[in-house]
Amino acid sequence: MAQVAYGVWDGVVHDPRLETGDTGTPITALKNFDEFDEGNRIRAFFGDRGFFVFDEKVSLIDGLYHYMEKAAEQSCGACTPCRMGTVLVRDALDRMRRGLDSPLGFDDIEMLGEQMKETSLCGLGQTCSVALLDVLRNFRDRVEAEVESQRPVKAQHGMAYMTAPCIEACPSKVNVPRYIDYIRDGKPENSLGVLLQKYPMAATCGRVCVRYCEMACRRKFVDEAVGIKTLKRYVADQQKGPNALKFTRDMIRTPLDKGMKVAVVGAGPAGISCAYHLLLHGYHVDVFEKSDQAGGMAQIGIPSYRLPKDTLAMETDIIVELGGRFRYGQALGRDFSIDDLFAQGYKAVFLGLGCQKGTALGIEGEEAAREGYYSGIDFLLRVHDHVNKVAPLDLKGEVIVVGGGNVAMDCLRSSVRLGADNVHVVYRRTEADMPADHEEIVAAHAEDIRFHTLTNPTRLITENGKVTGVELVRMEQTEPDASGRRNVRPIRGSEFILPSDTFIPAIGQQVEDGALVEGDGIALDKWRCVEANTKLETARPGVFAGGDCVTGASTLIWAMAAGLKAARSIDDWIQRGSVRFFKRSRMRSLLSDNSILASDVVETPVRNAYRVHNPELDPDLRKRMFGEVEQTISDAEAYAEAQRCMRCYRVYSVVTEHPIPEGAV
Amino acid sequence: MCTDHVNVIGRDPAEATISLSINGKDCAAFPNETILSCARRYDIYVPTLCELDDIDHTPGTCRVCLVEIIQAGQEKHQIVTSCNTPVREGMVVQTRSKRARDMQRLQVELLMADHLQDCATCVRHGNCELQDVAQFVGLTENRFFDRARTEARVHDDSSPSMIRDMQRCVRCQRCVAVCRYHQRVDALVLEGTGLDRLVALRGADDYASSLCVSCGQCVLVCPTGALGERDETDRALDYLCDPEITTVVQFAPAVRVAFGEEFDMPAGTNVEGQIIAACRKIGADVVLDTNFAADVVIMEEGTELLSRLKAGRKPTFTSCCPAWINFAEIHYPDILPLLSSTKSPQQVLSTMAKTYLPEKIGVPAEKIRVISIMPCIAKKDEAVRPQNMTDGMQETDLVLTTREFARLLRREGIDLKTIAPSSFDNPYMSEYSGAGAIFGTTGGVMEAAVRTIYAVVNGKELEDIELEQLRGFEGVRAATVDLGGPIGEVRVAMAHGLGETRALVEAVRSGEADFDFIEIMACPGGCVDGGGSLRSKKAYLPLAIKRRETIYNVDRKKTVRQSHNNAQVKTLYRDFLEAPNSEKAHHLLHTHYTDRRRQMQYTVKEIWDDITMSTMVY
Repeated sequence: MAQVAYGVWDGVVHDPRLETGDTGTPITALKNFDEFDEGNRIRAFFGDRGFFVFDEKVSLIDGLYHYMEKAAEQSCGACTPCRMGTVLVRDALDRMRRGLDSPLGFDDIEMLGEQMKETSLCGLGQTCSVALLDVLRNFRDRVEAEVESQRPVKAQHGMAYMTAPCIEACPSKVNVPRYIDYIRDGKPENSLGVLLQKYPMAATCGRVCVRYCEMACRRKFVDEAVGIKTLKRYVADQQKGPNALKFTRDMIRTPLDKGMKVAVVGAGPAGISCAYHLLLHGYHVDVFEKSDQAGGMAQIGIPSYRLPKDTLAMETDIIVELGGRFRYGQALGRDFSIDDLFAQGYKAVFLGLGCQKGTALGIEGEEAAREGYYSGIDFLLRVHDHVNKVAPLDLKGEVIVVGGGNVAMDCLRSSVRLGADNVHVVYRRTEADMPADHEEIVAAHAEDIRFHTLTNPTRLITENGKVTGVELVRMEQTEPDASGRRNVRPIRGSEFILPSDTFIPAIGQQVEDGALVEGDGIALDKWRCVEANTKLETARPGVFAGGDCVTGASTLIWAMAAGLKAARSIDDWIQRGSVRFFKRSRMRSLLSDNSILASDVVETPVRNAYRVHNPELDPDLRKRMFGEVEQTISDAEAYAEAQRCMRCYRVYSVVTEHPIPEGAV
Repeated sequence: MCTDHVNVIGRDPAEATISLSINGKDCAAFPNETILSCARRYDIYVPTLCELDDIDHTPGTCRVCLVEIIQAGQEKHQIVTSCNTPVREGMVVQTRSKRARDMQRLQVELLMADHLQDCATCVRHGNCELQDVAQFVGLTENRFFDRARTEARVHDDSSPSMIRDMQRCVRCQRCVAVCRYHQRVDALVLEGTGLDRLVALRGADDYASSLCVSCGQCVLVCPTGALGERDETDRALDYLCDPEITTVVQFAPAVRVAFGEEFDMPAGTNVEGQIIAACRKIGADVVLDTNFAADVVIMEEGTELLSRLKAGRKPTFTSCCPAWINFAEIHYPDILPLLSSTKSPQQVLSTMAKTYLPEKIGVPAEKIRVISIMPCIAKKDEAVRPQNMTDGMQETDLVLTTREFARLLRREGIDLKTIAPSSFDNPYMSEYSGAGAIFGTTGGVMEAAVRTIYAVVNGKELEDIELEQLRGFEGVRAATVDLGGPIGEVRVAMAHGLGETRALVEAVRSGEADFDFIEIMACPGGCVDGGGSLRSKKAYLPLAIKRRETIYNVDRKKTVRQSHNNAQVKTLYRDFLEAPNSEKAHHLLHTHYTDRRRQMQYTVKEIWDDITMSTMVY
């Protein structure tokens, strides 16, 4: 295990020379700090809460220089102390490490460091001099000894990384504060540009994302998280109208030869994202889609009142604008096999199959139901056809949906729009336990959906195959177990019957036609999902997979992140025969394994400024139509919301024994 | 802009329920009020730079207004910016602790590190908020200044009117705020990062292709000399001192009521007589009054409006404000057919000074140079419009803003306070009616027009000549005026400030608003607070109401209060123009407009090339 030679963390000094011999515990419990990559020892680490040195011979001045260089490079320049301080300190350290006289001495540097820490506007300036001050105040003799020699420091290896809690929380690692900054700056098109570096479906994401970023947002310690998704939608909607950004082929880094072609199977978010990044890498991409439309679950699984079809189409069309081709009506296992794809010269294959087969409840009477019974996902497909005027769907009477996730909410709110007299949701736990977005639950209440929580179906009642009712049982919460979690159990004798004309279990999904995929050399796991490693390689060389078909039903943003990751792996695999080390991922694991990105409270008083909300159509009106409920915020609201971001940027750096291998950017 | 401004003015003191101490004094603050706001109410000074209370601007970027605080129940001393840190119950604030003072001083020194400090060459010398704050914090050294770093920043003189000198910018963002939230032109963006951070034009490298309309409100809020007008005092002196040239000077209705402050006279003093005397003293050969031309404009525009009303064409927008013309041409070219074709008073006067006046005074037009003194930056744009040139010669040769005129008088050693007032002596183009005088304030053009149109329609004068229903100060005002006769009631609207103007134009375009005649003034308050007016420190438009009152008093004191009763105007039509909207009048006094919509579409590639500070994969 990595042994800390000396350092300071959260103000606790670890200095073996001190008689007290304080070895503050947080420092000794470091995980995975021995090597950065294989055979490459970590010699020192600098961060927002202090620094550790593992190798006594490390040059602190050079280490701090590289750290401050990153901070200066990332300083937005808005506030005075960070804009000037990072540059002045960086330049002074640079001269010192090169053995030259510095215009600023250590006292001056300390004064500037203190000014940056105490008076900067945002998290970057406030934290980027912490390690510097820790060194100057506790190990001044070491840096003084370094300059005394007046010899240049031997080059040290390593890397510096800037992040923020919202960035780390985002599966796609979108630079959230940066795109918010661009809104503040008055450049929403640049804001969209930041998003488009990660995925092509910003308007879609701005409507349906589950917002891991907002859960990590530190603004919640002041009032409420920043409306990151709301702002994303705002900038993505700049994509409409006469000034919409144009996608042109010069976005492609280096166009590759005709033969460099890759097959993407499935035009859902994972496939679209993967195709987008492969196209930008220069590959020729064909996307095979079994239906006749692109978008996958975003197309069929998200009702149009949340995501209008033309919005989605505008984003999937980007693939075509970049030279990709959609091959509709092509189902893997039915119309072609993976062997066929390789035979046709595709260098690699990405499987973004999704998991579109609904899971049954497994209750008595379910097998007999032929009419008025849909799995959640099948029902949404029917709704999709209704909206697209392929096959009208009229609901009457009582609709019962089982489940508490977003798919269940979509089924419920769609049923209201399809004319059902009463719409019920049955969920075995409490409303607070429902995994659906809070806003979705609020909207369901507003649309008069009846909630039956702590209730579970036990038997489906049918007449000649037609659903007529369901037997339900009341549930109760058990006492909290050791982990504090409360389970539920049925209350004996509390069974009751609810009449039902339509019954929709929406409790989970799996890969469709799994057996066919298995026959093509692809392994499935016990949940009937495609097996893939962390590099998204499947059991078959050259075949990669990502999105719901690997993880089980998950979120849009995870699928798009998988598409990006798979594109990198595919590029490496085609160009080099293997997937390279990805240094930024390694830096992230270092941070997460050691909980380094502290979710600390905001100590300085900040004025409350509550978030803006998307304007919504009136519930009485929207209940009758599939038009989009939420509207985009105005320019003024976007500026105001963007001002709420506190820019919790943090810089981290390592000094390593050897150069860190370069991977994909 | 802060998102949740706590307006404390006029609030019930009982609502100030938060107790805290500032410098040992017990204070009561309103919930969510800032430390700075509370300190100011208790007359405790804290140095500030980027903050501007009048436009609710606390970006917290300069970090100068530092104070030391101890929160209730804590021992830790914290340094915070008072402008955007809210008060808390039991908080102890020290604005003058050694630590706070040292950090304030270091902050200003860091601000100076890339600020061009050739103060003697700066237009704000002696009237600069950065100089003030440096004095307050006791700045004695300047260790971090680097000239090369400073001079690498942009100095943009691409506009005929505006100068954007980023070497003197302190990144306070006041200009961006006033342009974005108040004028809603949104022509300014923040660009670049780190040391390269600066204020830039949206989607353009130069003013000519930008969305800027030269309203100059950004200049009024700039704390330093970073934003200003193109200085033409040297060229003015060239004309004034050239014996071969007959220099004609005109000055706008608003200038006389918004100029005395520069020479320590009370705000709103009418210095018309002193300005005339000063103009003569610096060498003007003929001093004319733009007010005279305002009366001519009413004759032309009123007649034009009547014929449009009869033809059922509506609404008609006024055309005397050049920033409004810029705004319409750049932002809403589809409404250009609705604009009156009448030239502005400045251009009417200059045109007459080169056609009518030569006949009267026997000086050939090519010997005449017209200098106009305007409370306006956009007038400089107007003067160089191709539409306002005859045979390659500008009608108005030179426009000086009120500020430049002040500078010019100082250069000539003139103190307005001690100069003996004089009066106009030109018998052809200097008399004005009360109607011409009120052009300088919002609603004035409308009121002047109504007085004349009423008389034309009814063959008699309007009795209650002061139209109170037009005199409010709201951003957009609407009224119904009975013009009598076959015209009857008309719906009129007045907007001042481009933010309000945008809302009104949108309403007209969507068909929501139904008006016959609409007066637009791009600057809030109208010309009395124009973008070329004297600058105020730490305040935005503080003198609007006083100046406006003086203008109305000028009108009240006039015996002739309608444009059509101005004797010199009558003579002009009798001897020269024949009749309002005659062929000759049309040729000389009317103009046209061009679609100057900006191309603002980008490719993703262009955007990606512009993005900094984000991990760019491609």
